[in-house]
Amino acid sequence: MDVLNQLMQGFATAGTPINLLWAFVGCALGTAVGVLPGIGPATAVAMLLPITSQVDATASMIFFAGIYYGAMYGGSTTSILLNTPGETASMVTAMEGNKMAKSGRAGAALATAAIGSFLAGTIATIMVTLFAPLVAEYAVRLGPPEYFCLMLLALTTVSAVLGQSTVRGLAALFVGLAIGLIGMDQITGQARYTGGVPELLDGVEIVLVAVGLFAVAEALHAVLFEGASTESQNKLSRVRMTGSDWRRSLPAWLRGTAIGAPFGCIPAGGTEIPTFLSYAVEKKLARGENLAEFGQQGAIEGVAGPEAANNATVTTALIPLLTLGIPVSNTTAILLGAFQNYGIQPGPQLFTTSASLVWALIASLYIGNVMLLVLNLPLVGLWVKLLKVPKAQLYAGILIFATVGAYGMRQSAFDLVLLYAIGVLGLVMRRFDFPTAPVVVGMILGPLAEAQLRNALSIGEGKWTVFLERPMSLGLLGVVLAVLVLPRVFKKRG
Amino acid sequence: MLITDKTRQSAVALAVLAIAGVMMLGAAEISSEAGYAGIGPNFLPWLVAVGLAVVAAFLWFEARSGGFRDMPDASASDAPLASAPCWRGFAWMSGALLLNAALITTIGFILSCTLCFACAAHGLRQAQSGSAQTLRSWLTDLVIGLLIAAPVFWMFTKFLAINLPGLTQSGWL
Repeated sequence: MDVLNQLMQGFATAGTPINLLWAFVGCALGTAVGVLPGIGPATAVAMLLPITSQVDATASMIFFAGIYYGAMYGGSTTSILLNTPGETASMVTAMEGNKMAKSGRAGAALATAAIGSFLAGTIATIMVTLFAPLVAEYAVRLGPPEYFCLMLLALTTVSAVLGQSTVRGLAALFVGLAIGLIGMDQITGQARYTGGVPELLDGVEIVLVAVGLFAVAEALHAVLFEGASTESQNKLSRVRMTGSDWRRSLPAWLRGTAIGAPFGCIPAGGTEIPTFLSYAVEKKLARGENLAEFGQQGAIEGVAGPEAANNATVTTALIPLLTLGIPVSNTTAILLGAFQNYGIQPGPQLFTTSASLVWALIASLYIGNVMLLVLNLPLVGLWVKLLKVPKAQLYAGILIFATVGAYGMRQSAFDLVLLYAIGVLGLVMRRFDFPTAPVVVGMILGPLAEAQLRNALSIGEGKWTVFLERPMSLGLLGVVLAVLVLPRVFKKRG
Repeated sequence: MLITDKTRQSAVALAVLAIAGVMMLGAAEISSEAGYAGIGPNFLPWLVAVGLAVVAAFLWFEARSGGFRDMPDASASDAPLASAPCWRGFAWMSGALLLNAALITTIGFILSCTLCFACAAHGLRQAQSGSAQTLRSWLTDLVIGLLIAAPVFWMFTKFLAINLPGLTQSGWL
């Protein structure tokens, strides 16, 4: 089998001591980042983007994938033990996980989260292995009109559907697109919005925007608004599951995986919908005493299902990223940026031109999952200690790393001023509940979508009807429309 | 409070409108040379500018008629805004970041970041307790800052060969 052969080659590349070390450091760092409040995988990968100028592509992609993955494991630890949920992905876990921890079952909650993540992550990685090459083969036949429609779909769902308010989501998207416009036009080479500043000709670095919007804005928000707030931490109990825990968790893991995996594949982004969906399903299926536990002592299904759904979505999100070059979340958008730093454009050709890189990356996902299971089950007590870092030092420390990321990219003090400005922008956005994902995705996807749009119109000799004449692009436009209209109809009825 | 949410949200709407204005001014300077596509490099800029203006209008309307829609419930959000914002802490952290930008090339990464760490931590402490700081906490922060900045500097410059400014030309500090 061709796929198996290539996967084995991938394992050979990912299995070299140096690459294993990268994967391990990535997983450990990712777990730490996931556990620590105030810093997530997108920020961590963004801060470390400067290493792309020195470390070779395979090693750094393995490293970044480890961070991406590790943060998902670590995030659940925080949401179970701390009474303030961190990222949206672990919000659902926090609902039941917190209740379990309060009634002295923190250990079982942590175990089901970690094992469920492992199971879902591994199943989803198998899906990536099997389906990504197929999608790539099919995607080669897509032309610019189809690509543009796919990107339009990704941009629409990220901004108009996922957040609380469509207006604020669109505002964030347009700001992101505006930032993406700064620099040289890809097709004609004309300078746009540079204001004569030579530093802006290359565009605004992703590092700056991501680190500014997430890390600096987070620190500024903490100092301005969260001064007096105190967090309470639940007691950690022994990390083990009873027989009945296993019996209740296993079906929930599998259902969660089944719900989560398809969501990652479509460019509709976000783990919120699948995790909430999985939670709802588990609650609906629960009977008798188990149902009574929901919202009271905490039901283990309510942790197992959403955690599995979360990891499955996060993993299969690599399919659109690798085969179409379309990111559907903050972190995948930044991973796309990392590829671009190497002059690699993810897309259907990636599986032929950079086959060894892709397969090493996929193999490292299998390896990373095993590493993370070991890192998170026996060693969870170690990570919990990270929650004791005082807030003042934590945020101040994050600023040091933010400096490394922002300054290390271009060695320009001007970038540090820009970083502060973007941090203030992020603070305002956070204060008024504007989502940040559309900014990052818009900034990275915007220029790509613009190029596809102009190429598509060139094919159609300037006629917009080119999008309506091709069945697939017409179908995709229909989906975009449905995505915009349907939620509104449901809202009116419900 | 004299400044109401209505005023604040209206200000945000105006800010978005201002960005739209800047985008339009910029878009006007870009050539429309279109080639085969029928749309040139100025198409997306105009689209974004007009889009921002429309969104700003919606935001203004929302702000004026009962506030932004679907805002998270203040009591349910993870960080209740019960206490008044701590502007002094904010000023300390802003100072920390801007000072870092000003000094990094002259006194080097390590010292500049140590200073940034100490000022930012000072601001956060102030936000937490509101009380005056002792000399001791300043010294602790400076030492911790140094203990973070120095290894980070060596790790990134020696192992990952990323250029960060040192204090001396030899690059050891």
